[in-house]
Amino acid sequence: MKRCLSACAALALATVALAACGEKAEVTTGSAGAGQPLRLMLDWVPNADHVGIYQGLSEGDFAQAGLAVRVQVPSDPATPLELVAAGKVDAAISYEPELMLARNRGLPLVAIAAIVQRPLTSIISLGSNRIAQPRDLPGKTVGDAGIAYQHAYLQTILARAGVSTDKVKEVNVGANLVPAMLSRRVDATLGGYWNYEAIQLAQRGKRPNVIRMDEVGVPAYDELVLVVRRDTLANRSDELHRFVQAMARGYKSVRRDPTAAVDTLVRANPGLDRKLQLASVRATLGAFFPSAPGKPWGWQDPARWTAYGAWMLAHRLITNPNAAADASTNQLLAGQGV
Amino acid sequence: MKRVGLPLALLALLLGVWELYVDLGGADPVILPPPHDVLKSLVDDRGLLWSNFLVSAREVVLGIVLAVMVALLLAIAIHFSATLRRAAYPLLIASQTIPFPMLAPLLVLWLGFGIAPKLVVIAIVSFFPIVVTTFAALEAVDRDLLKLMRTFDASRGRTFWHVELPSALPGVFTGTKVAVVVAVIGAVFAELAGANSGLGYLFQQAEANLLIPRAYAAVVILSLFAIVLFALLTIAEHRVLPWAYQSRGDVAQ
Repeated sequence: MKRCLSACAALALATVALAACGEKAEVTTGSAGAGQPLRLMLDWVPNADHVGIYQGLSEGDFAQAGLAVRVQVPSDPATPLELVAAGKVDAAISYEPELMLARNRGLPLVAIAAIVQRPLTSIISLGSNRIAQPRDLPGKTVGDAGIAYQHAYLQTILARAGVSTDKVKEVNVGANLVPAMLSRRVDATLGGYWNYEAIQLAQRGKRPNVIRMDEVGVPAYDELVLVVRRDTLANRSDELHRFVQAMARGYKSVRRDPTAAVDTLVRANPGLDRKLQLASVRATLGAFFPSAPGKPWGWQDPARWTAYGAWMLAHRLITNPNAAADASTNQLLAGQGV
Repeated sequence: MKRVGLPLALLALLLGVWELYVDLGGADPVILPPPHDVLKSLVDDRGLLWSNFLVSAREVVLGIVLAVMVALLLAIAIHFSATLRRAAYPLLIASQTIPFPMLAPLLVLWLGFGIAPKLVVIAIVSFFPIVVTTFAALEAVDRDLLKLMRTFDASRGRTFWHVELPSALPGVFTGTKVAVVVAVIGAVFAELAGANSGLGYLFQQAEANLLIPRAYAAVVILSLFAIVLFALLTIAEHRVLPWAYQSRGDVAQ
């Protein structure tokens, strides 16, 4: 009985000790997140699209601007806008269509910079399927992630190519676009990126065919945008101005030396495949900057945003015209002050 | 020897079938890597796997500790109070129907991205078996020992401390052994709901980079970890409670 008692005591003591160190850990993470740092949530796991952010962190661009930026990875690409609206993060990277949908739900959000200036979403198929243009699609099965606006992309593309929509079978494969193609459950997928999934497949000798959305009738949009809450833009505009400027410096540094920037990205995220990230950064370099001459990094073409919003309204993806109006602002960009 | 040998032989056979299936073109090795690719990743990525393992291991151990504490308090409370038992037991069972993979992202929304939501998820998924086995052991205390304590005119507290709690310890161990296995699964879901490190996060990142052998390697390490925890608890149980094994008939139920 004595032995048991001492065992009980030891167990209780160990429990208390371990619990105490657990509580301590909670406090440190909790207090660090609540104070001064600017919390930025990525749209997905770190990848080539975020290279300028990691470059800016590494070169001290944010620190020089007086900002402590804390990067957070979301559970899935649907959550960043909810979290920025809930005030759990200060800024989030998301997609122009997702921003429109969130605004249509009444979330008070606004895009303050475009990080990737054109659509990355593509129709991708494996070499043997020879789907090089929309007219090759009849009789084929297309896998997607079950996202309403991507379904509308397919409708738009088929309508423009004069292909009847009931000739193409659409199946929801969730997030498993690449596996669905490799296991031949689908002939093509819509939703993969030309700068990511297509490169992954190419590097594994699968010879992908890529059809880019904006080349087959979908109105051009900014795939990745930096989003904040409206009241953050109003109350902390100086801080956000410095934030956007620092991020611009990060991406300009990537343009000067992509290889060094990829090394920085992989050093910060050792789980990444360096070869894939380097090829992806190289492919995306042009899309990190506006194609229109004289426009600053982060430029969101108002005419394109209007056209894309109108397309979403026409396809009943959004119902409130105000969701599209003033969804983005260029006021924080270089030379664009109010 | 037979106890270890036979399962190992079966495991080797299963791995052989897997290897052959992929080598003979049953599946694209990009999406189903053969076992030797997984082994290669376990060796090549050992630094990465180890640093992320430490993060997950810390979450699991602290989560289990939290679960044991909550479970002990609950089991003791419902042991002492029949009213509480009638009120809380149905709710306890109902708590097991919570689909925690769905709950994890919501807890992150509420508790943020630190270790707190991970511990809560792990504790939620793993406290239940501990409550049940501890409570059962408390209820199954040797009646003669209780009578003996009454003869000594021992207080309720003394009886609990000297008779009931020691008798309940085998129950705590049994429940905790079941709990560690689900705790590891809980940790993965908690990490998938928002983390910057840990094997669940590494898994997600490996999948996104189409480094599927590394994703399998993370799975292998997590299941080995659960097995090791289970074995350690079994050893600890024999060390701490030798009497429970000597008089198994009337204590451990």
